[in-house]
Amino acid sequence: MFSRRNLVTYAIALLLILALNFLLPRMMPGDPLMAIYGEEALVQMTPELKAGLVDRFALDQPLWHQFGTYFTAVFQGDLGYSYYYNAPVFEVILGRLPWTLLLVGLSLILATLLGIVLGIESGWRRGSKSDRTMLAGLMALNGFPDFFIGMVLLLVFGVTLGIFPLAGALTPYSGLSGGALLVDVLKHLALPLAALTLAHVAGGYLLTRNTMITVLKEPYMLTAKAKGLSQRAMKYRHAGRNSMLPVITRTGIWLGRVVTGALFVEMIFSYPGLGYLTYEALLARDYPVIEGVLLVVAIFVLVANFLADLTYPKLDPRVSYAH
Amino acid sequence: MHIDLKKELTKSGGGRFGVALLLLIVLMAIFAPLLAGYDPTGQSRSAFQSPCLSHLLGTNHVGQDIWSQLVYGARTSLLVGLSVAFLTTVLSALMGASAALIGGLYESIVMRVVDALIVIPVIIVLILVAAYLQPSLWILIILLSLLGWQGGARIVRSQALSLKERMHVSAARCFGGSRLYLIYRHIVPDLSPILLVEFIYSMRRAIFMEAGLAFLGIADPSIVSWGMMMREALDFSYLNVWLWWLLPAGIALSLTIVSITFIGYTLEPEMEPRLRGEVHA
Repeated sequence: MFSRRNLVTYAIALLLILALNFLLPRMMPGDPLMAIYGEEALVQMTPELKAGLVDRFALDQPLWHQFGTYFTAVFQGDLGYSYYYNAPVFEVILGRLPWTLLLVGLSLILATLLGIVLGIESGWRRGSKSDRTMLAGLMALNGFPDFFIGMVLLLVFGVTLGIFPLAGALTPYSGLSGGALLVDVLKHLALPLAALTLAHVAGGYLLTRNTMITVLKEPYMLTAKAKGLSQRAMKYRHAGRNSMLPVITRTGIWLGRVVTGALFVEMIFSYPGLGYLTYEALLARDYPVIEGVLLVVAIFVLVANFLADLTYPKLDPRVSYAH
Repeated sequence: MHIDLKKELTKSGGGRFGVALLLLIVLMAIFAPLLAGYDPTGQSRSAFQSPCLSHLLGTNHVGQDIWSQLVYGARTSLLVGLSVAFLTTVLSALMGASAALIGGLYESIVMRVVDALIVIPVIIVLILVAAYLQPSLWILIILLSLLGWQGGARIVRSQALSLKERMHVSAARCFGGSRLYLIYRHIVPDLSPILLVEFIYSMRRAIFMEAGLAFLGIADPSIVSWGMMMREALDFSYLNVWLWWLLPAGIALSLTIVSITFIGYTLEPEMEPRLRGEVHA
């Protein structure tokens, strides 16, 4: 359902976040430079540097002019400077991004696929004992916060049993390469990935199961049965394909939630992605980094929503004829 | 549209389970002073005691009684959950119903803001705001409410749009009922099932977020909460104290959220079949 309306929505969302990033530090009482960079950074600054920064942010200009300066800077990829990491925010974020993409991407795929398959199977057997058990089990799982699941996995499989490493994404200074490196990465990834996937499988499951139950009542299911199709073809090709549509439209919104989940999970496993970065920045009051992460994550969520809009008509041709 | 709440909730096993569990937690919060035995923020004798008769779950790193903290933690979670759910529901109803009833440019603006808020990652916004403001519990409650009304407003609007055209509302309008009278007498009562579901899911989301933020260290340090207990306990994961410190706090939090999930899921299809899927956001 690609439409101009959605583009307007995305533009508003982006503008809201930019406005928040811009206004929040400037609304704080006291020195705006301190509010922009954090207290720690200001101690290290020389008067000349300060004057340069005032000039750069146009802090001596009216507010709308400042916003213009800020806006152009962001569009040129300048997200500010982190005094904690002593590097441009954009570079700091870029360095952490691959790990979060790996974790969030894999767990989104795993959770969605698992959710859809379980949802189809459960909906197909609606009312039976296995359906009710699955429903109750997954709903209970849905109540467990991702960070608690992560902690339990860490304490049981990491600390007590010692099967998986406790922190990080790689064994430091190991000099591994090739297959050994891959195994090392996967070993570090296993627990965070399991925590995140377990925490998010129920969303897709509940939605698919609900849709499955309505889809099974459709006349075309009766036709499929009358044609003598096999159970499998009926279950997956006819009912299943239609039941996953609402899940696809929600991928964008879910991505936002999985990224948020990754934030907690990364913190627990000290996994060096954007979530752990945000946590470090929160502890160090490194404001530019938090603002940068917020913007980057928002852009990712918006792009994912956009892609979901584009894929939807491919999966459900009815949508493109609907206008 | 008018429903018998008690009947709906006790009809299914899941509903009964949810209600019983939540009732247990509410009782725990109400009778916290009787159950606790110690001041949750006061220091008992020594740190890192193992569970014994006088300290059911032992003591933490500064010698506070963990069982007392667990019991008082229920108060924080429920207070945040109920307050945010109330404010969010009021905001959703106001924004959604006014958009539907006023229409025009106002409606388009409200709905674009709703759509935009739905895609914004709320937790990161909260972290940024909290990094600046160091929010107290009440500021946190207000922030969570301001960032949580959008999903509900969308549902309320679509329902109010259809209610507006129903026969009994038109009839009341023909008889000269004022706009305020129509809202108060017809629209709001007919919206109540939807608002109830919105209330329950907001409560669930708020409890989850409060715990998450407290876990990240964004919380009023003088107020005991389950998220904060888990944060403190995780620092000592190399000791076996997590068995009676971290696990009980996490389980209490999870059981609270599970109970609300079961109640919500039981009520959801009874109220409004079209809600399916919408309310999970």
